[in-house]
Amino acid sequence: MLEVRDLHSGYGEAHVVRGVSLDVGTAEIVAVLGRNGMGKTTLIRSIMGLTPPQIRSGSITWRGESLVGLRPHDIAARKIAIVPQGRRLFASLTVTEHLTMLKSARAKTGWTVERVFGIFPRLAERRHHRGGQLSGGERGMLAVGRALMVDPQLILMDEPSEGLAPVMVQHLEEIVLGLKREGLSILLVEQNLYSALAVADRVYVLETGQVVHQGDAATLTRQPELLFQHLGVQ
Amino acid sequence: MNTFQLLNGLTFAALLFVVASGFTLIFGLLRIVNLAHGALYLFGGYIGFAVATKTGSFVLGGLGAMAAIAAIGFVLDQGLLRFVRGNELRQVLLTLGFAFVLNDLALVIWGGDSFTVPIPQILRGGMRVLGVFYPTYRLFVLVTGIVVFAALWVLLNHTRLGALIRAGVDDAEMVEASGVNIRRVFLVTFLLGSALAGLGGLMGGAFLSLYPSADAEILVFSLAVVIIGGRGSLVGVGVGSLLVGLLNTLGQVMFPEFAYFVIFGPMAVLLAFRPLGLFGRAVSA
Repeated sequence: MLEVRDLHSGYGEAHVVRGVSLDVGTAEIVAVLGRNGMGKTTLIRSIMGLTPPQIRSGSITWRGESLVGLRPHDIAARKIAIVPQGRRLFASLTVTEHLTMLKSARAKTGWTVERVFGIFPRLAERRHHRGGQLSGGERGMLAVGRALMVDPQLILMDEPSEGLAPVMVQHLEEIVLGLKREGLSILLVEQNLYSALAVADRVYVLETGQVVHQGDAATLTRQPELLFQHLGVQ
Repeated sequence: MNTFQLLNGLTFAALLFVVASGFTLIFGLLRIVNLAHGALYLFGGYIGFAVATKTGSFVLGGLGAMAAIAAIGFVLDQGLLRFVRGNELRQVLLTLGFAFVLNDLALVIWGGDSFTVPIPQILRGGMRVLGVFYPTYRLFVLVTGIVVFAALWVLLNHTRLGALIRAGVDDAEMVEASGVNIRRVFLVTFLLGSALAGLGGLMGGAFLSLYPSADAEILVFSLAVVIIGGRGSLVGVGVGSLLVGLLNTLGQVMFPEFAYFVIFGPMAVLLAFRPLGLFGRAVSA
């Protein structure tokens, strides 16, 4: 569904993503691993149409259509959503308002406020609280909920486990696997290797803006020397 | 300060609120310091004056001023500012240039004389409030300011457009990435802010009168209001308007030579302790 080919992208003089190619299929969870500063966020931002960075060359194709040059809301309209790094909730909006930005609270098609509250009951309890008043776990849930309101077929997740307690990471993994069962695809960018390997079907390892390894998540789990070499994990 | 002066301060604050609320909406959401806002106010006053004189209707004057200034705002935003988006210095300079052009245009059309917008019969004369005999029209300005505050409060806090505007003040990029065309929200906000400047022009034109350079005076006051209250905050504009309105009156009465200092002295002190203003918030990361 998503095809990235030889993508080069960066900020001004900084050439961050250097010729990345990757694919995400239907109902597939693909993880992009790498240490800090390896170009993971730049890759996600480039796919979502967020600028900067500027895309220099290469292609991003979604169901046969090029996404390069489209504005983020046009890309969202093509059913791609983002859970950005650091969540980036709106401090002055209530939980419900985060979910009704795009469609009215009474909308009945696709994802609805009630359905999001169904998978995150905690958010329903906090529906009148503002983004700035939520706990770390609640913030993570709301960021996912906000993305779901786009009715996505692909969700780009940038370090969703960042700053979460282990029990919350596990909850998030279950949600991600549940979404996959419903046919959604997920491109997951992570530093938290174990969380990513727990849910991913396939893995790409990014190092200084290039793919240095790709393969099944199961295979990578069995190759500790590879993990150590690229990610510094023992 | 006696009751009469207090009312003077409050009614001036109400006018400032109408003008500065438009200013802060645009500043808060689009991050544009619109230095043409004063010129929009003055031009709105002239248009309101022309329409009100021609039709004999103050209400039509107000509607005409708001519609015309919203239209001019549309030209400014879509015709000029869209080419310098994201470049703050260019935006500010462009609005300054636009203000010069608009003011010269007003000078060509209406000349350098001073005009006062005719007020309807019902608002002429005075009435007794709080033990003093006070001009009815200025009380009307006070009520209008309160009504505009209430309307904006409902718009911002109880409508989806309002939620989008608040979200845009927090993080415009994430609004886009959530599937909303933020530029449409920007445009509506720009038109609304401009229309408020036009309404302010008509209101102010009836008791402060209209003359070349009236734009710079109101712009300086609006800037003070927004800086004191905090960028993009409605409550901040309300409180800032009250402070500036009352301090201005106090200054004129007690220390006429230092009238401006009475406003800008405390403002400087405030900024030293709260650089984002009373109700300002840092942009969320």
